[in-house]
Amino acid sequence: MNTTYASAVFAAALAFSTSAFSAEIVFSSWGGTTQDAQKAAWADKFTTETGTTVLQDGPTDYGKIKAMVEANGVSWDVVDVEGDYAAQAGKNGMLEKLDFTVIDKSKLDSRFVTDYSVGSFYYSFVIGCNVDAVDACPKSWADLFDTKKFPGKRTFYKWSAPGVIEAALLADGVAADKLYPLDLDRAFKKLDTIKGDIIWWSGGAQSQQLIASAEAPFGSVWNGRMTALAETGVNVETSWEQNITAADSLVVPKGAKNKDAAMKFIALATSAQGQADLAAATGYAPTNLDSAALMDPEKAKTLPDQQTASQVNADMNYWAENRDAIGERWYAWQAQ
Amino acid sequence: MPSVVALPEVATVKRREFRSTLPALLFLALFFVVPVISLLLRSVLEPQLGLQNYVELLGSSTYLKVFFNTFMVSAVVTIVSLTIGFPVAWTLAIMPSRWAAIVFAILLLSMWTNLLARTYAWMVLLQRTGLINKMLMGLGVIDKPLALVNNLTGVTIGMTYIMLPFIILPLYGTIRKIDPAILQAAALCGANRWQALTRVLLPLTVPGMAAGALMVFVMSLGYFVTPALLGGTSNMMLAELIAQFVQSLVNWGMGGAAALVLLVVTLTLYAVQLRFVGDESEGGR
Repeated sequence: MNTTYASAVFAAALAFSTSAFSAEIVFSSWGGTTQDAQKAAWADKFTTETGTTVLQDGPTDYGKIKAMVEANGVSWDVVDVEGDYAAQAGKNGMLEKLDFTVIDKSKLDSRFVTDYSVGSFYYSFVIGCNVDAVDACPKSWADLFDTKKFPGKRTFYKWSAPGVIEAALLADGVAADKLYPLDLDRAFKKLDTIKGDIIWWSGGAQSQQLIASAEAPFGSVWNGRMTALAETGVNVETSWEQNITAADSLVVPKGAKNKDAAMKFIALATSAQGQADLAAATGYAPTNLDSAALMDPEKAKTLPDQQTASQVNADMNYWAENRDAIGERWYAWQAQ
Repeated sequence: MPSVVALPEVATVKRREFRSTLPALLFLALFFVVPVISLLLRSVLEPQLGLQNYVELLGSSTYLKVFFNTFMVSAVVTIVSLTIGFPVAWTLAIMPSRWAAIVFAILLLSMWTNLLARTYAWMVLLQRTGLINKMLMGLGVIDKPLALVNNLTGVTIGMTYIMLPFIILPLYGTIRKIDPAILQAAALCGANRWQALTRVLLPLTVPGMAAGALMVFVMSLGYFVTPALLGGTSNMMLAELIAQFVQSLVNWGMGGAAALVLLVVTLTLYAVQLRFVGDESEGGR
């Protein structure tokens, strides 16, 4: 009798403690308006539907992920990472395989799906330009690399990632379907021609600040940041010519404590509605092919998935294979 | 000699004090020393046992340039800080104390304001379309905006601003300790004002200058935020390189190697600084 009672208490305590553990997951992203939108479109809804609290953390840091996985103390359950990192980290054993019985991948844009990751949202590197600050806006990558026709400072993404090297090669006349494998010698030679005129942006907010203040009146930027800048009243023009797409991915670090809840969270985040809500808030494109139908047509028109006419896809698999080598060369070139 | 009598007592007190700091030391060892050593160990263990990371680090012209930049920026910041800091410290020392208190409050207030906020403020002030350029152009001093940011100028301005208190405070202390009668004595012996300054006053402030300058130089060596925001990529400093290895390239072997080089240089300079500060306090007694 006593034993039964004790074991019942023990079982109840155990049940309580497990449910207490699983009633919480941690989501890490890049902060700013994008993470706010992810919280509103995904996390709050997930909490309402499942009762599981989603704690927000960040910014995402690949060094931290490595440290957590190696120390077997993973405190992030779902992480928003760059697509090239996701492809590489999956191969290096840093990530859990996603459970596609929970996550429906049949409607997801297959460009952004691997065994270990699904697209979080996708964006395009476009040419943004402050119309009021210049005589003429560059329309193509060749224009952006032409300091005679378009004098002044221009801004590019500081970190080694898909986008800038592709832009340099396209500007140099490489055909969009012949980009890969990237001709790095040629790309850096082209970049050398404008190196003194580049101001690097290291985060989205900085790219907006540079263009709005005309510190660098034009440059290669994430499309959503120009949409947001236009909404604040700055007269910006976006050229979609050969816009270069890259995606963020959602991943689960190896050894995450709440794997099951993490899969459910990703399922909601990549659902047609979850992706539509995020796209409406951020100006980035949904990775779920059914999302466009759920969106305000006026808004949907401004997104990268409607700009496919001259779109160039950054090859995430190529980047995953060569990420380290390109990165070392990139930073060495910058420091010279 | 009273100090001889007091000596054993001091030693006991010191031993007791040391024992009471043990928990703090243990904490430091566990949460600071061990992680640092484990990162440094990676520099000889990853990707395999050996010195390959150091060979790559010290054999590449790019990384050597980063080392050079680090020392150059630190030296420039130290010299500029001294040049500006000395007259300020001097003025503070001879000012009526009520006014000096106000200036001190301003100095300290700037130290307590968030570093990132202060650096961003400089970014806004210094950029081509910023306040300084607009003012100079409005006054007709220049007709094209000066490049004040995203280069060495920006880093120097931003870091000097942050480092100034660290040079002014020790210098102020040193100058205050100088007996004004010494200057009178110099005048009586026939020194003109210039000679009094260069032959009497400056030599007396050397310990304070050395202490302040070394502190600024050592702090500048490991600086991250200000160079990252106000500098261009071509004046990258060591701390940025380490962050890049650790966070972006996830190459901890190289990160550890670069960190060890920075640590060795800093500790060496710190040892030099200890000597100087030690000398100063000996002289004061």
